[in-house]
Amino acid sequence: MLDVALTAAGNVFTFQSLLFLTIGMLIGLVVGVVPGMGGTTALAVFGPMTVGLDPYSALSLAGGLMGAVSFGGSVTSILINLPGGAPNAATCLDGYPLAQQGKAGLALGASASASSVGGVIGVFTLLLVIPISKKIVLAFGPSEFFLLATLGLVTIAACAPGRMLRAMIVGGIGLLFAFIGFDNVNGGTRFTFGLEHLWEGIPLAPAMIGLFAFPEMIELSAKGGSIAKDKGQVGLTGTLDGVWASFKYWKTLLRGSLIGTLVGAIPGVGGTVAAFLAYFSTVQASKNPESFGKGNIEGVIAPEAANNAKDGGNLIPTLAFGIPGTAEMAVLLGVLVLHGMEPGPTMILHHEAEIYGLILTLTLSSILASVIGLMMVRPLAMITRLDAHILVPSVIAISFVGAYANNSLPGDIVLAFVFGVIGYLLIRFDYPRLPLVIALVLGELAERSFAQAMMISGGSWSIFVTRPISALLFALIVMALTYPMIRTLLQRRHSVEEVS
Amino acid sequence: MNKLLAALTTCVGMVTAPVAMAADFPAKNIQFVIPVSPGGGFDTYVRAVAPILERHLPQSVNIVPTNIPAAGGARGAAQVYRAKPDGYTIGIFNIPGMLVPQIRGDSDLQYDLKKMTWLGSFGQDGYGVGVPTASPYKTVADLKALDRPVKFTASGPSSTAYSATMIATDMLGIKREIISGYKGSNDYVLAVIRGDGDAVIGPLPVMEKFVESGELRIIGTFEEKSSVPGAQNAIEMGQPDLSKLSVGRLVAGPPDLPPEVAKTLSESLMAAMQDPAMATWSRESGIAVEPGDAASAKGILEGQFNFYERYSKYLGPAN
Repeated sequence: MLDVALTAAGNVFTFQSLLFLTIGMLIGLVVGVVPGMGGTTALAVFGPMTVGLDPYSALSLAGGLMGAVSFGGSVTSILINLPGGAPNAATCLDGYPLAQQGKAGLALGASASASSVGGVIGVFTLLLVIPISKKIVLAFGPSEFFLLATLGLVTIAACAPGRMLRAMIVGGIGLLFAFIGFDNVNGGTRFTFGLEHLWEGIPLAPAMIGLFAFPEMIELSAKGGSIAKDKGQVGLTGTLDGVWASFKYWKTLLRGSLIGTLVGAIPGVGGTVAAFLAYFSTVQASKNPESFGKGNIEGVIAPEAANNAKDGGNLIPTLAFGIPGTAEMAVLLGVLVLHGMEPGPTMILHHEAEIYGLILTLTLSSILASVIGLMMVRPLAMITRLDAHILVPSVIAISFVGAYANNSLPGDIVLAFVFGVIGYLLIRFDYPRLPLVIALVLGELAERSFAQAMMISGGSWSIFVTRPISALLFALIVMALTYPMIRTLLQRRHSVEEVS
Repeated sequence: MNKLLAALTTCVGMVTAPVAMAADFPAKNIQFVIPVSPGGGFDTYVRAVAPILERHLPQSVNIVPTNIPAAGGARGAAQVYRAKPDGYTIGIFNIPGMLVPQIRGDSDLQYDLKKMTWLGSFGQDGYGVGVPTASPYKTVADLKALDRPVKFTASGPSSTAYSATMIATDMLGIKREIISGYKGSNDYVLAVIRGDGDAVIGPLPVMEKFVESGELRIIGTFEEKSSVPGAQNAIEMGQPDLSKLSVGRLVAGPPDLPPEVAKTLSESLMAAMQDPAMATWSRESGIAVEPGDAASAKGILEGQFNFYERYSKYLGPAN
């Protein structure tokens, strides 16, 4: 393996490959920053342009691009609450409150270091598990998918301390939205209001753009001023503190990266789920769960690490069976095919050096993108100092363009607007927005997997506890639901004892 | 004399103008609509052929692959159907994928495949029956002999994979139960390997990937001559009609495309598909291309219409 890795390194560390890696990385940063444009769209556009290049240059471009998108997307999430792509939405939750407190540099620094370390951990995990990659992919079936989705859904109860009922109401509404579109189990379409546009369900990117960015901009234009309330200096120290924070909270970083890799390895689940699961697990593991959503730096580290680690995980089903785990990987496979590489289980045998080359470019790119990003933190953070009358119209315009750029469908602009109004109403009447996002991301997966698990087991519920991973996930769900209660009880007993 | 010549030239120019327009085709970029998201098989074909097709057109213009992934492909198909019949909008069509909604009568379907101008075909993938390698069932007859329903994995009931499973199991006399809802062929073939079901009916190229990785065994192919060693073919299974179950990749333009324009597009497409560069790509990527001309595309479409109209009761709920 070492000699192949060295061959790959020799091919990547050539002037031409590094040049294309840098170009890919810059493209990745830009499309990451533009809302709605994700790695999938960018790869689809730039992939075919690599015809005529040698495979290493093409892979360097693709790897550079994929490695940088995630950090690019976190920039707007943090600065203006506008997720660069659906997977970055989780970063908005604590990143934007930090920007409001004038700590944009801190958040960006943490995002940069968490992204690059996450990317590296993802790739290393991939290298470690290549021999057992088939087992990992096959270990997750419908019953595990359902429980994984449920594990995410139960956090609705905990995501708005003191407002549980409101959170559950919003979560219910979110589930209603999640079930719009094709009914994959029974056939036909449902709840589409006769609109062809809704057949494929609610597209996540425009919905998130509307839900996060619009309400903030309406608030900001009503209040005036700028995003950052505290107009202190954007010091480089804040940024370096942010970089350091990822290492200080190394458990959060590691947990986020491993969740990202694992979820990335499961075909059909995707980066958005990875980022949110990483976020929720961090909230649950924290001693101060109520500090999240108000600017806890751990809430930036976990989803960003997961988001970049998932790229490594995504390669697991691809190398095991030649099937793409996500849409982004499907497009990458298209690029490989253009260069005469047949995606399939034998790809790793026939094109070992190229695969290691790709892995290496992914790693280099996630590090380089963060370094370049860090150099840009100061000017970027100035955005949070801009006055509302300049910022609001620009952000609204970019949001509309982003909603359209996602799939070039005009209906998505309307959709972003509708979700913007919903988001504003939620804020206005003091309902949490997060449950809507959780339900929207996980609802369809939960429903479909539940129906499939029931078909597989012939209607027996035991399927959720008899399979080892299912049983483990089930136990985690029970723990997530009962732990806060037990903790309160223990605390109460403790204080009673102290009093007596 | 000069004036006379000039007048003559003008006259000739006027008479030949419409012909000249057709001969000028293409004068601008051609949009190649892909009615699905980037990344799938259909997308790959178009993106592979586009640069080669550019070289075979009489005038040098760009072929612009455009993904329109909405309403299960119906939006993209409608966009080609409604386009100006000038040859600057063409599209790739999944047959029977786009044909089943038309027979089933899906709501608001804004295209009619029978009226479109068919230009060529990238070929068809056959279907087959697969079981996990460790499965005790060695032939289709083994599945038939079971005294319980055989569990098949497939995508949703409105999909062609589901219809194909219904039709094939009926023809073969296999008692079935379908575990539905998987998203696409990779997903439902992987599902049967994981043990979600007993067997799967799916496109052969998808199943062959898993055969290569050692997880799947193809026990029957719905072809007249089996391409998989050791697997029974449609005739050996006693159902030659099974070979009608396939996934075709056909290219069409809007209805009433001027014959000269259609001829130029069709011939250039054929030349591109037969280009050595395409053959090299096909060999290296392992993706088969069987070039078919306009007539063969139309023939495939008509054959599929007849077949699925006969089995319309299996086409699932309309969208």
